[in-house]
Amino acid sequence: MNQPNRRTRLACFTFPHLAWVLTLRAHPELQGEPVLLGGQDPGGRQVVLAASPAAWARGVRPGLEWRRAEVLCPLAVRLDVDRTAVAELRRWARLALTSCSPLVEWGDDTSAYVDLAGSDPLRPEESSRAAHCGRALQAALGVPPSVGVGPSRFSAWVAAQLAAPGRVRLVPEGKAAEFLASWPVTALPIPPEVGERLIQFGLRTCGDCAPITLVDLQRQFGPDGILLHRLCRGLDSSRIEPWREPPPCGVRRVLAGGVEDSESLRFGAAELAQGLALELSRQGRAAGRIRLVLLGEDGPRRPSSTDQQVWWGEVAPPTPLATADELLAPLLSLFGRARFLTPVTVVELQAFDLVAPPVSQVGLWQGRAADREVVQRAVDRLHDRFGQGLVWRVEVRPGHPGDVPEERFVWSSR
Amino acid sequence: MSSELARREGGGAAQPEVGALALALSSLNLRYGPGVVHTGAPPLLQGLATGADSLDGITGCRGLPKGRISRLTGDLSSGAFELGLALAAVVSRSAAVAIVDFSLGLDPGNVEAYGGELDNCWLVRPRHSEEGWAAARALAKAGVALCLLVAQDWSRLTPGAAPAALLTALAEGDCAGLVLGGRLIPAALRERICLELECCRLNWTLAHGDVCGLRLEVQVSRSHLGAPGASCRLQLNFPRPYQLRIGLEAPDELAPGEESAVGLLQVAGGNGW
Repeated sequence: MNQPNRRTRLACFTFPHLAWVLTLRAHPELQGEPVLLGGQDPGGRQVVLAASPAAWARGVRPGLEWRRAEVLCPLAVRLDVDRTAVAELRRWARLALTSCSPLVEWGDDTSAYVDLAGSDPLRPEESSRAAHCGRALQAALGVPPSVGVGPSRFSAWVAAQLAAPGRVRLVPEGKAAEFLASWPVTALPIPPEVGERLIQFGLRTCGDCAPITLVDLQRQFGPDGILLHRLCRGLDSSRIEPWREPPPCGVRRVLAGGVEDSESLRFGAAELAQGLALELSRQGRAAGRIRLVLLGEDGPRRPSSTDQQVWWGEVAPPTPLATADELLAPLLSLFGRARFLTPVTVVELQAFDLVAPPVSQVGLWQGRAADREVVQRAVDRLHDRFGQGLVWRVEVRPGHPGDVPEERFVWSSR
Repeated sequence: MSSELARREGGGAAQPEVGALALALSSLNLRYGPGVVHTGAPPLLQGLATGADSLDGITGCRGLPKGRISRLTGDLSSGAFELGLALAAVVSRSAAVAIVDFSLGLDPGNVEAYGGELDNCWLVRPRHSEEGWAAARALAKAGVALCLLVAQDWSRLTPGAAPAALLTALAEGDCAGLVLGGRLIPAALRERICLELECCRLNWTLAHGDVCGLRLEVQVSRSHLGAPGASCRLQLNFPRPYQLRIGLEAPDELAPGEESAVGLLQVAGGNGW
């Protein structure tokens, strides 16, 4: 289902090619040297898969035939790409981003996109969310990525190109066209001949092309004119193709029909919590963070499964969760925060930051101590669900501090 | 052949009746609490001892029924509210007590003054009624012995399904529920009250020219456990901030069969009173 009112903000992460990252790990002495990383393409030809910045400056590009690359850069160091190691590093990097957001699209091993829409109460600002994702990616890759945030893929990518490594650059909301005004047309993702014709017309930047109407651009360049019109105004696609891999631990329930209110979903919360607790017990782990993902129905105009509307929320309790009782309270709080973009058809509960379960045994102490421990855990769950200040324990304050109960007693929530 | 037809006819007729009966029983048990409809002798419902034998004797289960909702009611200054706090104090000496204060005006010092252990008391001060009901359910399931619900006006605080859910939680946690305050309560809560005790003040108790307590009569006005109408008389001694020999004075004023419910317990509790 289409959502015209949904404000989309994408974060683009650009970083050196994964093969070059691995090469620098293995050969740090190659920093600053021209290096060609080659391999065979699907057709069996030996081509350049990645190149160091020094080789890139000499005109070497990925996909270039190996012999031409040697001509362009005769003094370059030539190495083969370890595809297995690259795939492993790609997997870790994707997992790092997925732990921050379920809406991740992996690019060509030099870029990745993350949809910043969603619920993350710990980071209400998009810059902090993008920085959080960037830190996770840096931890996986070992190099800081450049981060750009914008309303569309292209504007976010341009912002990432303009940002320094380890920095976030934001495209102001509603000002994508102004932001892109100085971007050269030769750097647009359009055919080179279109760019050359634009130069011949004297249109050198996006700002020059933006005032031209769509009809005129289409008349001159055909379908490329439409693309050019969108790119220059920051109106290109904002949708991403989310990469989905089963989380380390999670449960998924497909509902019989679309559900539009959280109360109906709450009835299934206990079963969902039990399912995840069972999975955790099988692995002998506890969840340091749980995430609720609600997937909606496909829109009538977008039959692709990647167009599913998604709401997700996370909660990181103070202590790891292992049992169904422990999982239920934060799960109910997540359901309470849920915003239903469309009728929900699939509910996923995922566990992250898996750790060893806390060493506690409720029935260890006999008598009242055991009861108190159980009650204390119930109170903790209530606080997780409704916040502090609901359940109190009072203790007599020494002396005679006052007459009202708030003065005579020490009120504590534990 | 005829016997086969008769058997089939009989079986076909009896099957829907059994299903309807089971459905009716399950709905009644869901609505009024597990075991409300039973065959033969009534089930032995365990009671939470109040510490006063005469009060335990009229409830039908030797105390406040566990897994059920009880209510203390009465006119203004009838002693119902004070008796409820005193019962919470008694229970808190040996088990956990949850006090859900919808009115937000309960002074925990009263429970302490009656000899209760604040260390065993969990005071819930909900910002919305739903939070209070949810907290009551959670604490009841967790195993508190007594869940005391206090409000001034129940009509605005009782969502339709909340009492039924609380009843289920009380049964699951083997917890006794006690409702205090509010003369009028909505039907959703009233029809799930298993035991209703009506308090009536007989007279004030004076000591040193000051009111130090009251004598009250507690009568079973509504009960799912037996016939209503049983009553007892109690001596309720107010907590005082100075030394008062309640335990020695009160029994002399009591008629045979009466009991000093709280003052006697205070002496037995060894808190120096």
